[in-house]
Amino acid sequence: MIAGGGPVGLTAAALLSRLGVDCLVVEADAGWCEGSRAICISRRSLEILGWCGADRPVLAKGLPWVGGRSFHRNTEVLRFTMPSEATERFPPMLNIQQYHVEQMVAATLSADRVRVLRSTRVCGVRASPAGVEVDLAGVGGAETVRCGWLVACDGGRSTVREQLGLQLEGTEYEGRYVIVDIEQATSRKVERLAWFDPPSNPGSTILMHRQPDGIWRIDYQLRDGEDPVEAVKAQNVLPRVQAHLDMVGERAPWKPLWISMYNAKCLTLPSYRAGRVLFAGDAAHLVPIFGVRGLNSGLDDAGNLAWKLALAHRGLAADALLDTYSSERVAAARANIAYGAKSTEFMAPPHAGFALMREAALRLAPAVPEVRALINPRQTSPVEYSGSPLNLPDGGTFGAGARAGMPAPEARLRAGAGAGAGSGSGAGAGITHLSALFGSSFIALVFSERVHSSAAARLRSEDARRAPPVRWVRVAPAASRIDPADDLLIDELGEAWHRYDAAEGTLYLIRPDGYVMGRWREEAFPSDPIERVIARILGRE
Amino acid sequence: MNTADLEQSYTALAESIGRTGGSKTPLLLATLALDLLRELPDAEAALARIRRAEELTSETDR
Repeated sequence: MIAGGGPVGLTAAALLSRLGVDCLVVEADAGWCEGSRAICISRRSLEILGWCGADRPVLAKGLPWVGGRSFHRNTEVLRFTMPSEATERFPPMLNIQQYHVEQMVAATLSADRVRVLRSTRVCGVRASPAGVEVDLAGVGGAETVRCGWLVACDGGRSTVREQLGLQLEGTEYEGRYVIVDIEQATSRKVERLAWFDPPSNPGSTILMHRQPDGIWRIDYQLRDGEDPVEAVKAQNVLPRVQAHLDMVGERAPWKPLWISMYNAKCLTLPSYRAGRVLFAGDAAHLVPIFGVRGLNSGLDDAGNLAWKLALAHRGLAADALLDTYSSERVAAARANIAYGAKSTEFMAPPHAGFALMREAALRLAPAVPEVRALINPRQTSPVEYSGSPLNLPDGGTFGAGARAGMPAPEARLRAGAGAGAGSGSGAGAGITHLSALFGSSFIALVFSERVHSSAAARLRSEDARRAPPVRWVRVAPAASRIDPADDLLIDELGEAWHRYDAAEGTLYLIRPDGYVMGRWREEAFPSDPIERVIARILGRE
Repeated sequence: MNTADLEQSYTALAESIGRTGGSKTPLLLATLALDLLRELPDAEAALARIRRAEELTSETDR
C-alpha cells in the first residue's frame, strides 16, 4: 500500500507496478493538489518520470530553462547557467505545476495493477514482522486493509509517521516567504529571476519563475516582525506583486490564483525504514525550497525504493536490501539539507550576521567575480551514494568516469539493429540516450568493438536460478561491426566512451535506478558470472 | 607589505571608517573582510583570523 497520492506516491506506484508489484494508493484529497506547489523538475527527475512513461507529457507541457539572473537593487550581481548541451535528452530544469505532474503520472498507471482510493484517509497503522494493517476512513465508511509493505508518501504532516511515533530531526528557520501564483500573459524568457532589496519592495527578496498556462510563481520574503496571518491576505499581497510587476515591466492584466506561506525547514527522519513501513518524499524529509530539492529528492526516493522493494517482495533479494534504501536516501537528504541550509542562509538570513555578510557579498559581487558563487542558488543535482554497501570496488584502474555509487553518466547514442533502447529521446531515427535504458533491470554495459568477446561471454550466466534480470548492452565505437542479434548502441559522438573512461572490454554494472554498482577493466573481470555477483550483493548467496 | 605600506593602509581604513560613520561601519568592515578573505590560501587560514578577531573583540577589559 502507498499512503499518499501526491507526485511521489503516484510515481512510486507507477514504478512498482511496472516491476510487477500491485499497489493500492490511498489519498486523502478528492482531486489533484491545490496551487502549483513544486514547480521545478530537474533533469534527474525527468529521467525517473521516463521510467513510467510520464516524461513525454511533462516535457511537452513544461517550460525548460538553463539558468538565471540575480539582482541587488537595480544591479545584476549573478548570471548562472546549469550544464546543458545540444545532444542532451532532457533540459537541466523544467517548470511545470505539480498538479500537472500528478495527473500525467496518474495517466500512466495500469488499472489492472494499481488501484487509487481518493477521499480516503489513513487513520491507524499497526506494523508487525509479517505485514502491516492500515485502518482507512473513506466516503464509503471505514475498513482495515492488510498489506505486505506500506510506503508512506503522505507528506510533511505524515499520518503514518505520527502513527508510528516517529519524529523528524533537524532545524527550522524563522524567515518566511509568501508564495503567489498569478495568471498573466508574458513572453519573457524562462529563467530563474531573483531580486535582493528591489526598488519595488525595499528590504525584501523576490523570486520569479514562469510556469505553463500563462502563470507566474512569485515568492517574496516577509519583513521582520510581519504577522504571517495578515501577510497572506490578498489586500497585503496584491500591492507588493503589482509594484514588482510594474518594476519589471510586465503590464498585461493579471489576477491572483493561489497564495501560500513557506518557511525553510531542514528536517529528516533518522531512518526511512521501520520494518515493513518505508518513508519517502516529504513524509521522510523536509528540505528548504531554495535549490528545488523537495519534490526532486522525493522522486529520487521513489526511484531508489521501487526496484529494491520489488526484488524483496518477489523474493529475489534479502530484506536487508531495503536497509540500503534508508541509508542511501538518508545520506542524500543530509546532503540536500546541507546545500539547502547554505541557500537558506543567503535567501532568508537567520540573523543579523548573515544579513550583514549577504549585504557585503551583494555589494562586492559586480566587482569581484569569485564572490558571485555565494549568490548562486545551488540547484539540485543527483547525490552520490558514497559508502553504500551496494558499491563494488573498481576492477582495475580508472582515472575518470563514474565510480560505484555515482549516477551513471548520460550519453547520446544510435541504437543498433537488435536494440530497442526505449523511449524519451525522439531526436531522429535510431537516436537514443543511455539513460533511456535505466529504470527496470540491471544493465551490464560492455564497451567493445568486438561482436563476440569471450571474456564478457564468460560473465553471462545461462543459469536458470531465480535471479534479477540483467540486460547486456554493447556500446560500440562508430564504424564497428554489427551483429543483428546484438543489443547494441553505437557511440557515434564518442560521448559514452569518454564519460565512462572506457577502454576495449570495459564493463559497467548499472543498478535499475541508473546508479553505477561496479566497473571492471577486462583484465580484472570478476571470476563469477555477473548474475552471481548481483545475487551475492542482494543477499541471495 | 612593508611597515610604511601597513601604516598607510591603517590610516586609510581609519579615515574611511570616520567618513562612513557609525551605523555603516559594520557593512564597511564586512565588505572589506569578505574581499580580503578570498585572498587567503584556504578556509583554515580564514577561520583562524575570524576566530582571533572574535576573541579580541569579546575581551572587554584589556
